Amino acid sequence: MYAIETENLVKKYGGLTALDGVSLKVPEGECFGLLGPNGAGKTTLIRILTTLIRPTSGRALVAGFDVAKEKASVRGAIGVVPQAMTSDLDLTGLELMDIYARFYDMGKKERRDRIDELLTMVGLRERAGDLVATYSGGMRRRLEIARGLVHRPSILILDEPTIGLDPQSRHVVWELLEKFRKADKLTILLTTHYMEEAESLSDHVAIIDYGRIVALDTVEGLKKQIPQKDTIELTVSNIDMGKAKEEVSAHSSVSSVAVNEATLIISVDNGANAIPELVDRLKSLGAKVTRVTLKEQTLEDVFIHFTGRPIREEEARKVSFLLGAGVPRQWGK
Amino acid sequence: MNRFKAILERDLRKFIRNPLVVAMSVLMPVIYLVILGNSFQGELKRLPVAVVDQDNGPGAEKVMERLNALEAGPRTIETRKVSSQGFAMEGLKEGVFKGVIVIPPGFSRDLARGSVAEVGLFLDNAETIAAVAVQSSVTRAVSDLGREFVSVREERTAPHLRPIELYRKIDYDQTLIPGVVIMAIFLGAMTTGAFNIVMDRFLGVEESYFLTPLTKKDIVMGLVGSGLLITTIIAVVVLFLGSLISGIYLWSFIGIDTLLLILAVIVLSTLGLQGLMFVVMGRLNHPRIVGVLGGFLNVIFFFPSGAIYPVESFPAWLKAFAVVNPETYSVHALRALMFKGASLGAVKGDIVFLAVFAAVSVAAGTAAFKREL
Ligand SMILES: Nc1ncnc2c1ncn2[C@@H]1O[C@H](COP(=O)(O)OP(=O)(O)OP(=O)(O)O)[C@@H](O)[C@H]1O
Ligand SMILES: [Mg+2]
Repeated sequence: MYAIETENLVKKYGGLTALDGVSLKVPEGECFGLLGPNGAGKTTLIRILTTLIRPTSGRALVAGFDVAKEKASVRGAIGVVPQAMTSDLDLTGLELMDIYARFYDMGKKERRDRIDELLTMVGLRERAGDLVATYSGGMRRRLEIARGLVHRPSILILDEPTIGLDPQSRHVVWELLEKFRKADKLTILLTTHYMEEAESLSDHVAIIDYGRIVALDTVEGLKKQIPQKDTIELTVSNIDMGKAKEEVSAHSSVSSVAVNEATLIISVDNGANAIPELVDRLKSLGAKVTRVTLKEQTLEDVFIHFTGRPIREEEARKVSFLLGAGVPRQWGK
Repeated sequence: MNRFKAILERDLRKFIRNPLVVAMSVLMPVIYLVILGNSFQGELKRLPVAVVDQDNGPGAEKVMERLNALEAGPRTIETRKVSSQGFAMEGLKEGVFKGVIVIPPGFSRDLARGSVAEVGLFLDNAETIAAVAVQSSVTRAVSDLGREFVSVREERTAPHLRPIELYRKIDYDQTLIPGVVIMAIFLGAMTTGAFNIVMDRFLGVEESYFLTPLTKKDIVMGLVGSGLLITTIIAVVVLFLGSLISGIYLWSFIGIDTLLLILAVIVLSTLGLQGLMFVVMGRLNHPRIVGVLGGFLNVIFFFPSGAIYPVESFPAWLKAFAVVNPETYSVHALRALMFKGASLGAVKGDIVFLAVFAAVSVAAGTAAFKREL
């Protein structure tokens, strides 16, 4: 059984198609990453899966429940950390957790134990009595992750969980997610536009762009799909460059070699493993290797390959200049 | 129930974390009372009027008696005898006098003959409201006199005015208390309940609530419940504080049953307005719109409620609005309960209207609420 299953999801905002036929399957117990630039439709997809908005067409099952027809059951089965910070600033961390637990009809003792456990795990036990307003961004994120888990959901859905955090807090969140995943046997769906995040956490990654899934595989699998390889640059002396090129090209994992003055630019599978062998071969011809660099293929290369642009491209959100954000959403588009 | 209580508690906790708002919610209506009480003044009082007596007969004496009685009773005017008409008219021009009464020579003779006896009245038309007040009280004094002399000539009635206040003697700022309590309820309803939804939406906090099993009813009822609690407490405090500063001691003449009826009126008025706010504002997502709409609605509901001027003297179209305005019924009921010692029978109609209005508006507010982004 799949924890999350979508079939041809479409969401239109007036003339804009935010989601354009998304079909996904997330197996139970997996961490699934959704990678996409600003405006790709990540939040829209998450909001449909979490019953906050209705799809224009298509179907989605979460924990086996239909998100359009069995909203209450879906809500009980999932924990969600939305993209924006959504904690009440004028409650204390403890009050916030307790009030949320009561939304799920948890008993008093059960609440107390679970909240204590969670706050300890996210390192906020000492600050539980302070107003959320006094927390740092990273602390608020950790509190929200704890909040999302208070009712022991089987699926945790996070929308850009580390956006706006410094690298250190980001790593703390990653570690936390790993920890919770093991402790609670969670299925995790997270969206991100940080390559590192997708790479370090996800079993499978889907790249979403303009509301479509343009690629879906493991990180390794995605990298294999694209022609760009790792690049090794070897600067050599004491050897004829033509001969050097010939020697290097003969290696089984090398796909092409270019020469730039005294430097060989080598396109290669699995560059880290190839380096020692290539250096040995050149040395056996009497050459001296003076400099080695390796540029490994990254998810960014994968991303550029599938979307034709780097991920950080910003797209301004449209808000009516006449009405601003102050009217029911439908009028404001 | 558990969820409803959780929402209610969350809201109450957030409210008391803002002590300034708590204090302002109580103080502002009381300040309104002081300002309204001192600026409108209800019936105008102590308007200076000059009297020029050129008759010096018994008729003129009677007129003076009547005017003095007016002065001692409702105090609308304060007369001053002036010997020269020219001096009096000068004073009128300068605004020292709001009116000049001239009793012409031969007034007593005309009165005695039963022919038309006329008193001259000069008014300062630049101050219409004062002029109207002077004219009406002087006319009343003089026409009473005419009738008495003409028809019941022999009867020597005491020169006292008819008692014009049927109930306890009420000062104008005291009569404003029901209106001010209603205003406190309106402001309370406007800044609790539905406003919290607008604020949550504005801050993006609502998203996290919508992700939980909370139902539409849990959310609306929880917010209405906390708003009701807060607003009722504010209204009761305003009622007692307002009474205290305008010099009446409610507890000295209000029994427990009247107090319960007052409480019922406050609770039902609050519920109705809370529901109404959900209907009007439940889908907004910017607090600024609440500010603009709230200020507008406050005036729309408050002034046609009879809190300041009697509903009876409105033009027909405004009267029609007053009939459907819940604040009209709240003001009427509170006034009857506070000043006329009314029992349930006298305010039953008001309470039924307020109860129906509350039920309808809360139901409509819940229906209108959108539990989706
Ligand atoms: N309520 C709305 N009304 C109109 N258009 C919307 C609305 N919400 C989202 N959109 C549009 O839908 C598209 C997808 O938006 P979405 O928020 O899903 O992107 P995202 O991938 O989450 O982006 P980001 O990385 O910036 O969070 C965007 O073009 C956005 O402008
Ligand atoms: Mg987003």
